[in-house]
Amino acid sequence: MWVWYHVGGRNEVPGTTGMSHFLEHMLFKGTTSHPKGDLDRLLARYGALWNAFTSEDVTCYFETVPAARFETALELEADRMRNALIAQDEVEAERTVIVSEREGSENDPSFLLGETVQAVAFDRHPYGQGVIGSKDEIKLMTRDGLYAHYKRHYSPRNAYVVVVGDGEASALLDSAARAFAALEPGEAIEPPKAPEPAQHGERRVTVRRAGGALPVVQLAFRAPRASDLAAPALTAAAVALAGGGGGPNAASGRSSRLYRALVERGLATDVDATFQLMKDPFLFLAEATLRPGGAHAEVERVLLEELSRLASEVLPDGEFARVQRQLLASTAFPSDTVTGRAFRLGHLLSTGAAGSISEWYERLAAVTAEQVRSAAAAIFVERSRTVGWFVPE
Amino acid sequence: MNVRVERRRLGALKVAAVSIRGLRSVASLFALPAGQWFEPAGRAGVARLTAQTLLRGTGTADAAAWSDALDALGATARLDVGGHAAFFAGQCLAEDLAAYLRLVADAVLHPAFADDQVEFVRAQTLAELEEDTKNTRAVADATWRELAYPVGHPFRTRPLGDEAVVREAGAAEIRRFHQDVVLGGEAQLVIAGGIEPAAAFDAAERALGNRSGATAHDIRVIATPPLAGVARRDVVVADKTQCDVVLGWHGLPRTDPRFTAARVTNMVFAADTFASRVGNVVRDQLGLAYYVVSTIGASLGQAPWTVRMGVNPGNVERAIETTFVELRKILAAEVADEDLALAKDKLVGELDVALESPGGVAQLVLEGELFSLGDDHLERYPRALRAVTKEQVVETARAFLPADRYALAVAGPELPR
Repeated sequence: MWVWYHVGGRNEVPGTTGMSHFLEHMLFKGTTSHPKGDLDRLLARYGALWNAFTSEDVTCYFETVPAARFETALELEADRMRNALIAQDEVEAERTVIVSEREGSENDPSFLLGETVQAVAFDRHPYGQGVIGSKDEIKLMTRDGLYAHYKRHYSPRNAYVVVVGDGEASALLDSAARAFAALEPGEAIEPPKAPEPAQHGERRVTVRRAGGALPVVQLAFRAPRASDLAAPALTAAAVALAGGGGGPNAASGRSSRLYRALVERGLATDVDATFQLMKDPFLFLAEATLRPGGAHAEVERVLLEELSRLASEVLPDGEFARVQRQLLASTAFPSDTVTGRAFRLGHLLSTGAAGSISEWYERLAAVTAEQVRSAAAAIFVERSRTVGWFVPE
Repeated sequence: MNVRVERRRLGALKVAAVSIRGLRSVASLFALPAGQWFEPAGRAGVARLTAQTLLRGTGTADAAAWSDALDALGATARLDVGGHAAFFAGQCLAEDLAAYLRLVADAVLHPAFADDQVEFVRAQTLAELEEDTKNTRAVADATWRELAYPVGHPFRTRPLGDEAVVREAGAAEIRRFHQDVVLGGEAQLVIAGGIEPAAAFDAAERALGNRSGATAHDIRVIATPPLAGVARRDVVVADKTQCDVVLGWHGLPRTDPRFTAARVTNMVFAADTFASRVGNVVRDQLGLAYYVVSTIGASLGQAPWTVRMGVNPGNVERAIETTFVELRKILAAEVADEDLALAKDKLVGELDVALESPGGVAQLVLEGELFSLGDDHLERYPRALRAVTKEQVVETARAFLPADRYALAVAGPELPR
């Protein structure tokens, strides 16, 4: 079971960045009817897989529990949708945890580079602020500010509840409706109005730290929102460039263009390309981690060559067939778990990408090689890219 | 647990299959007897070099052709080396299982081990080793292993290996390891998902054949001298903001009858934020760490039993001391009934939740098969967890988690004096 709130980094303003993420932590700290630890321990006792995350667009909470414990998960989520305490002493205790989370991320040079590139790529849109917030702003976050943020954004009207499991859909829906029915619907929240103006030239940024051993090159191109007609083709473009997932050192994805052009040729140890489904226009990212002592300029040149080739030449039939298969498999595999299926559906609904998993699957299946080329050509342009280098010192 | 496992032996290959209705995909876990445990003494890294080179071309397909074929299936796959085994883990559509296993078999049984491909894997591995020198988690882990295990012990080094060995190991040594170790012992394949067991066995037999030459490796006995006292090392990693801490002891073999009690002890102690004492106090009450977790390795030998946490340098000493406060309570038999019941419920409940994915089912089955825990292991295991007593928890902690004999490694910014 997942609850998706339409609040994230996108809904924050300078001075309060990281507030949605901070709030996510506070929703594990008790409610008026369930003191801290009460339901947590109950869910732990059921062996539940449960957690939460915050992105630029949303804050999500999920529980995967044995079917017999579904009602407990519902009770937990309905309760904390409106009744979280957000006590002052708990805010102080959690502040150091969040600072620790931020510091742990800062230990990773690719996080630092990604955060900087994202900040440089946006002039106006709050996407440039990221999610976790600056350490100073985390330290300044007030209990009253968090509580106001909570009261404003946490209500049935501003949330999706997604339930997947062993039971009739109508019965699951009825249970969910009963659990949340007593809550006031809340006010409609206007989406933030900070459209990003067009970019008129390449931006470049360099991050230097001793804390990383390998150089990194990252390219970020302005890309359309999830509901754009080109979104499925750009999803396919990411697979063509870096495969369908599997993580570093995976055996799969090695037929991808960036792996062949950079890793096989000894220029990089790892490559990645992502097009994220987001509510507002975001970024298409391509990244390479270089071999020790590798030359940033050379890797950047090869990256750009490959992106340009994707934008100018239609994928050959054999290669396109591989891309399609990976694309569809990467949609099908996670959907073979209830957790993955619920995540996928919530993500599609909350970003406006599609109304159902099958609809998204069909849109992916309908992508043509020419659409991939055309979508790539529309976004892989010099004037709307941001180039980031991580230089180890 | 309601998991029906069917088994078939194909010579030196044991196959276990679980059919899960309604799924389009299958998860495949192929455990080769080629983990760190089987590396020749002083040759740390040979197992991983061999495993990675298996992915770099076969007698009939070069690396590019093999990758093309794998990606044409849309399968995900990876080959990792662990303490005990090397694991070829993959997921594919059920209709592609036979083709997927043919590719796996080609890589495992007929690798080319071409010189240029060995060099490719060597360069990649050296780059990863270099990257790890600036990764505080990796540094803390490597340092802890050096403190906890003697020279020559398979767990003294991380699976990536020793840099000197990685630099010098040649194609001949890798071929020998492949022939003697990878192919020389019994392997275990587990398939779980949207396929009938008969079809899974058929696909496995067609792909991997019926190898009659190999036999189970002799049970290798490697002594792990007990920790004599407290060994601590702090390593400064420049330009970092957070320290990673590894505190640990030698665990016990998965085949040890006390292992189930050790899992419960681990959960009572520090395995989970909500269900464990340390997680609850260090993170939830005191806010000292974003992550704190303990794990106990399942292996033929005494794998690490460690508590790991990410802590601001200013909080390192307090977080460590708080961890010991909770450990001493367990050692003093101050284990609340509620904490013990919670730990057992959590472990049993996790088994049910793991059944939601074919990969989770395959993992559960694999542990029982790999360590010969019995055909009815999955049926007995939840009952065995439930049967663990407070006395067993205390006894296990006293035997394996002494508060005056441990290894402790801290990596990150310089600690305040």
